[in-house]
Amino acid sequence: MKVLEMKHLTRKFGDFIAVDNVTLAIDEGEIFGFLGTNGAGKSTTINMIAGLLHHTKGEIRILGKDVTKNKKFAKSHIGMVPQDIAIYEDLTAYENIQFFAGLYGLRGQKLKEQVEEALKFVGLSDKAKSFPKTFSGGMKRRLNIACAIAHRPKLIIMDEPTVGIDPQSRNYILSSVRKLNEMGCTIIYTSHYMEEVEEICSRIAIIDHGKIIAEGTKEQLKAIITNTKDIWIGINSTDTLDLSQLKLINGVKEVKVEEDVIKINSSADVNNLNTIIQYFIAAGIEIRTVEEQAPNLDTVFLTLTGRNLRD
Amino acid sequence: MNIINLALKEMKRDFRDLRTLIFLLAFPIVLMLILGTALSSDFNTTTEVVDIPVLYKDSANQSVSQAFQTFTEGLSDSGVHFKKATETMDGKKAVKENKYGAYIEVTNSQIKMYESNKNSIEGSVIEGMLSAFVDKYNMISTVAKVSPNALSKVTPNSGEANFIKETGLHSLKKPGAMDYYAITMTTMIALFGAMSASYLIRGERIIGTATRLVVAPISKAEIFIGKIFGGVLTSVLCTLIVVLFSKYVFKANWGEHLGIVFFVLITEIVLAISFGLGMSYMTKTSGASQAIIMVVIQLAAFFGGAYFQVEDGGGLMNNVMQLSPLHWANHAITQVIYSDNMTPAIHAAFLNLGISVVFLLIAIISMGRREGL
Repeated sequence: MKVLEMKHLTRKFGDFIAVDNVTLAIDEGEIFGFLGTNGAGKSTTINMIAGLLHHTKGEIRILGKDVTKNKKFAKSHIGMVPQDIAIYEDLTAYENIQFFAGLYGLRGQKLKEQVEEALKFVGLSDKAKSFPKTFSGGMKRRLNIACAIAHRPKLIIMDEPTVGIDPQSRNYILSSVRKLNEMGCTIIYTSHYMEEVEEICSRIAIIDHGKIIAEGTKEQLKAIITNTKDIWIGINSTDTLDLSQLKLINGVKEVKVEEDVIKINSSADVNNLNTIIQYFIAAGIEIRTVEEQAPNLDTVFLTLTGRNLRD
Repeated sequence: MNIINLALKEMKRDFRDLRTLIFLLAFPIVLMLILGTALSSDFNTTTEVVDIPVLYKDSANQSVSQAFQTFTEGLSDSGVHFKKATETMDGKKAVKENKYGAYIEVTNSQIKMYESNKNSIEGSVIEGMLSAFVDKYNMISTVAKVSPNALSKVTPNSGEANFIKETGLHSLKKPGAMDYYAITMTTMIALFGAMSASYLIRGERIIGTATRLVVAPISKAEIFIGKIFGGVLTSVLCTLIVVLFSKYVFKANWGEHLGIVFFVLITEIVLAISFGLGMSYMTKTSGASQAIIMVVIQLAAFFGGAYFQVEDGGGLMNNVMQLSPLHWANHAITQVIYSDNMTPAIHAAFLNLGISVVFLLIAIISMGRREGL
């Protein structure tokens, strides 16, 4: 069953097209990674799904129903975890969840049970009566999640839920995402941390300049770039290094220097490793390490967009 | 239900905010205490009449003399003490030397009075008493000539011969300093509700919770009404506390029509909330809306007589005063309390609610045009 369908979704701000003819479907039970650099159209798309922005053209369907005609139905099945922490500092953790869950029509005993369940889920049961101003960044992020899930939505949109928190809290949130998924929630997950997306997402879409430029499982995306390989060569000194000479070697597409590691992106079908090593020997540069990198999502993203995810 | 949920949340947050409590509760009470105490002399409207010595010379015939004698005896308990001048005394000189409050010469045809310039109020008091006596005497003389049978009904023995009827100002009819500042500080603080109202919706945007509200399955109208309802209720409760505190602790006079007074205050609170909300949509930054609201409130407070009484002198000043919401609110409440006159209260309420509608419409239209709140 499709939890979310977008057909020819377009959003314009004046003459600027922020989202351009996006067609995408997300199945029930997926953790869907949505990647894009700042300004790529990722947040605009997410905001249109959540009902924060109107779409200029196209169609959005939640659980088979058009959101324009079934606004209340669609909203009641969505949980939004905003990128910026959106909680009231002067309400306790319990009161925050209770208030937001109350907006979804929960009342009485059911409300109480689901609020307690949400608190337990994010590990804040013992902080129920505490005010968020006494919380660490990670705890606030967890409360931010609890406020979005207490009404048990079918579709949870998580917009960079791990920004600016410690590794322990990040791990907690990532395991929570998996647990939510196991409980039957479909999740749209955006992050600037590629390793997070690679770790938890079952399917990924990459958006650039408002268009979906790639979509599929991790393996499918990596397969897109099997025509290139990355060779990393560790050296002692870059003093006599001439990058222009390296770029002349057959098959080499791009050369970057990061401290004392030379990162070479080359065509996969050209066997040029020997020639590259010979260049270093001839230039009198001592080689410490040589590694051939397997393609990862960073490489995929860089190859497809020409930029790093965090650019 | 969502409206109540939103309103309760709003109130809970407001009452937990120490700054709000200080501003809406402590601030007006402290100002009342300071201004009501420090400026109490400016509102003092009574002059105590104690021991006014009056010298008189009586050279009239028996009937006039007897009547005057009765008059002086009748005043012996009122603080005015009459002393008959001896033949050798110069009454005018004695008054000039401020030995007496007045000197009276009684003859058959007239009564002359010379008053001391030391205390004009004392002089006025004696003059008023004498006038009453003369009027009464003339009336009796006329009745005696025209209808002697009716004389018994108007003579001093008839029981209606009091020359002085004490008509001291009724305690309700004029506010003292505390009474005055209880009203003006309360109405001023009610208007200050506009400051917090400018954050009602904008505040949600600033802390990011607007996103959650818009994403939830509730309409913008519910959010709007719930927020306003909460804001108004908070202000109303704080105002009620201030009014009751001033009434029972400071003994400020709020009159006998507290319901009407409170109705005017509620409409003023609605005006303040609407004004603040409207301004938040008419300006781009919170700083700009706060600055405009502060200037408007301070001008309204100044011309509305919040800090000191502003006399209605006519002309431009009068026109400017009429534009102050505090002026019409204070005037309406004062009229209700001290004159039992409800008409200005109805006018003020309609004016407050009418202007509120304008600002609310501005906010509703602006909100409708926005994506999000």
